[in-house]
Amino acid sequence: MNIKEKCRVGVSGLAVMLIMSVVSQAASTEKLTVVNQGGAPGDAQRKAVFEPFTAKTGIGIVADTYNQELAKIRAQIETGNLIWDAASVHSLNESIGCDEGLLEPIDWSKLLPEADFKAVGGFGKCGAPYLVSPGGLVYDAERFSGNEAPKSWKDFWNIEKWPGKRGLPYQPDQVLEIALISDGVAPKDVPEVLAKPGGVDRAFAQLEKIKPHIVWWKTGDESMQLLLTKEIAMGYGWQGRVNVANRSNKRNLRIVWEAGYTSAVIYMAVMKGSPRKQEAIELIKYTLAAEPQAHYAELMGYPPANERSFALLSEENRASQPTKFLDRGMMQAGDLYIDFWRDNGDSIRQRFSTFAAR
Amino acid sequence: MQASLEMMGETEIPKMGLRTLVRRAERRHFMTMLALMAPSVIFVALLFVIPILLFLFRSVDNAEIPTLLPKTAVALDTWRDGEIPGEPVFAALASDLHALKGSPDAALLGRRLNFAVPGYRRLITRTVTSLPGTQMASAKETLAAIDKSWLDPVYWRTLKSQSGRITDFYLLSALDLQRGAGGIEKVSGEQAIFMSLYGRTLYTAFGVTALCLLIGYPVAAVMAAARPAVANWLLSLVLIPFWTSLLVRTTAWVVLLQTEGLVNKVLLQLGVISEPLKLMFNTAGVFIAMVHVLLPYMILPVYSVMKGISPVHLRAAASLGANPATVFRTVYLPLTIPGVAAGCTLVFVLSLGFYVTPALVGGPGDQMIGYFIAYFTNSAVNWGLASALGVFLLLLIGVIYLALGKLVGFDKLKVR
Repeated sequence: MNIKEKCRVGVSGLAVMLIMSVVSQAASTEKLTVVNQGGAPGDAQRKAVFEPFTAKTGIGIVADTYNQELAKIRAQIETGNLIWDAASVHSLNESIGCDEGLLEPIDWSKLLPEADFKAVGGFGKCGAPYLVSPGGLVYDAERFSGNEAPKSWKDFWNIEKWPGKRGLPYQPDQVLEIALISDGVAPKDVPEVLAKPGGVDRAFAQLEKIKPHIVWWKTGDESMQLLLTKEIAMGYGWQGRVNVANRSNKRNLRIVWEAGYTSAVIYMAVMKGSPRKQEAIELIKYTLAAEPQAHYAELMGYPPANERSFALLSEENRASQPTKFLDRGMMQAGDLYIDFWRDNGDSIRQRFSTFAAR
Repeated sequence: MQASLEMMGETEIPKMGLRTLVRRAERRHFMTMLALMAPSVIFVALLFVIPILLFLFRSVDNAEIPTLLPKTAVALDTWRDGEIPGEPVFAALASDLHALKGSPDAALLGRRLNFAVPGYRRLITRTVTSLPGTQMASAKETLAAIDKSWLDPVYWRTLKSQSGRITDFYLLSALDLQRGAGGIEKVSGEQAIFMSLYGRTLYTAFGVTALCLLIGYPVAAVMAAARPAVANWLLSLVLIPFWTSLLVRTTAWVVLLQTEGLVNKVLLQLGVISEPLKLMFNTAGVFIAMVHVLLPYMILPVYSVMKGISPVHLRAAASLGANPATVFRTVYLPLTIPGVAAGCTLVFVLSLGFYVTPALVGGPGDQMIGYFIAYFTNSAVNWGLASALGVFLLLLIGVIYLALGKLVGFDKLKVR
């Protein structure tokens, strides 16, 4: 083969590659791109929702992951270069994204029975709730048992009776709420107390009391690691993490639901201007249906957002759910709560980071 | 003029004059050079310099408010701080806000103003949604009826100070300052976060640089003095971690340093310690991991300078009666200064911008400026403040570089 021939082969090879990539892009445009948090929850969503949905409708799904960075959604809308069709967004981002024109406003009450989602705060203006992630007081039942076990957030604050470090997430949301609950505020009243003048000061004052004993963690993995290695005596933890930690380490970490807990609500929403809006809506409707919700809950251990799914859960899973203590939970949703964090989130976060660093 | 023309006429060969010829050749050379450099210059300009300048411009850019509230911006020109504005200003605001009804711009405006005064977002949202569509008798009364906050000068002061195309708001915020009733003032203690952050960033960078020098200098000296085979072997030991991804190396340290980690287990087994040391989620962890990551940046420039030092100098000093310590102090050390300066600059500048490592192995008290730039860029979507922090980080690097250059000479800061 002389040089000319080599060049010709090379050029035709390039051309083939170019055509292939164009073809594959054309093929991928028929698929729906959905972004979620990835990891174990992402795998569970693929198994419980995406795969059966594709089998049922023939619509393929590409999953992408992000860490709730609103900037990534905004960049796609502002440049007009949409990569995602539907996104998993937490309650705060659902509200911001909806108001700022990043997500499609959709009247979900026309598409789904609203009553089934009342317990998790109902539909948003743009998103529909598909996942609830409760977090509460977690302790190691092998370390404290019977009467020794902590029963309330007051006990969490009682270092004399339960010596040892306390694990809390390195973020003001959920932490300030827990501090107020420990100070005697009923979980249902937390948003109101927090939003009142002096509410934030009260929460910080409460945190100050146990500050030298707090270990701040940054990831859910870390929160469980600290408990499993006995580095902390008790900590705040998310239900899904506790289930996974117990299952994979054969341990007995327990969540004290009756102490009061917070519940993050995660929504699915359609990206503004998505050319596959209809398909995205179909996917979200399927995600919220009773059966996939129950399947997802079995895999992840989170409670389903759809109330009718509880009946489909296994006996064991139902026992681990905070169903009996729903009145002790604080949903991180609702106008009062969302408005408070949207208005004060930045300044509280600055105050929190100076507080934690001191 | 006349004379030079005559002279040109008299000299027939060469026709154009030697100087012109030389100049032409030089120009051709210069053009070739430009053509050769063009791709990289264009690449750097398009993908590096221009985006950075554009992003830095965001620290003073304030297009949102004058664009969304054009009439109010004009009407506020004559307003004096401390008093409640008159009807024309209220009417201008009502008209501007009415135009935003049903548009996402209302939320954007609210978000922007909320950076300055927490709660401003809700004030805007509430006002926009409750504003009646028809002509109102008194805009002032209508707005005050929707929300009493409009009778508070704080909100007007913010609007006025933010109504220009260019704002100093982000730059001031990044220095823990704000504009109050009496001009520029400090923000309250619990909101003041950035000044201590610069201090912490500088402290960490200095500490890491000093430790890198302390550990790296002897290694480089041994490498420079060793036989070529041994030196190559040592060099590859330095380079292998250098080629490993930053994230992998940092995560490896997490495995080693945690309470149940390898380091603690070995020390416990050996009986050196009786209970596990806290090596992670504190300053110790950040220093250990950062020094490890940055060590090659110190060793390599120092090594390359040491390699160039002729052993003859050292032998000459020794033969003149200097003991090893004196040889080192008066001959070897001064000759290695260019390498040390280059290595220190590299390590220092790189560690100023560190973000992943402190986030993974540091505690809440160890986060550096990069952490907050990432936070304001990604999560809070406050790009103005992120950019302002970037401006000061860049200034910090510039000042340190200048100071170092003055101290040891700029020609010595080059990495060879």
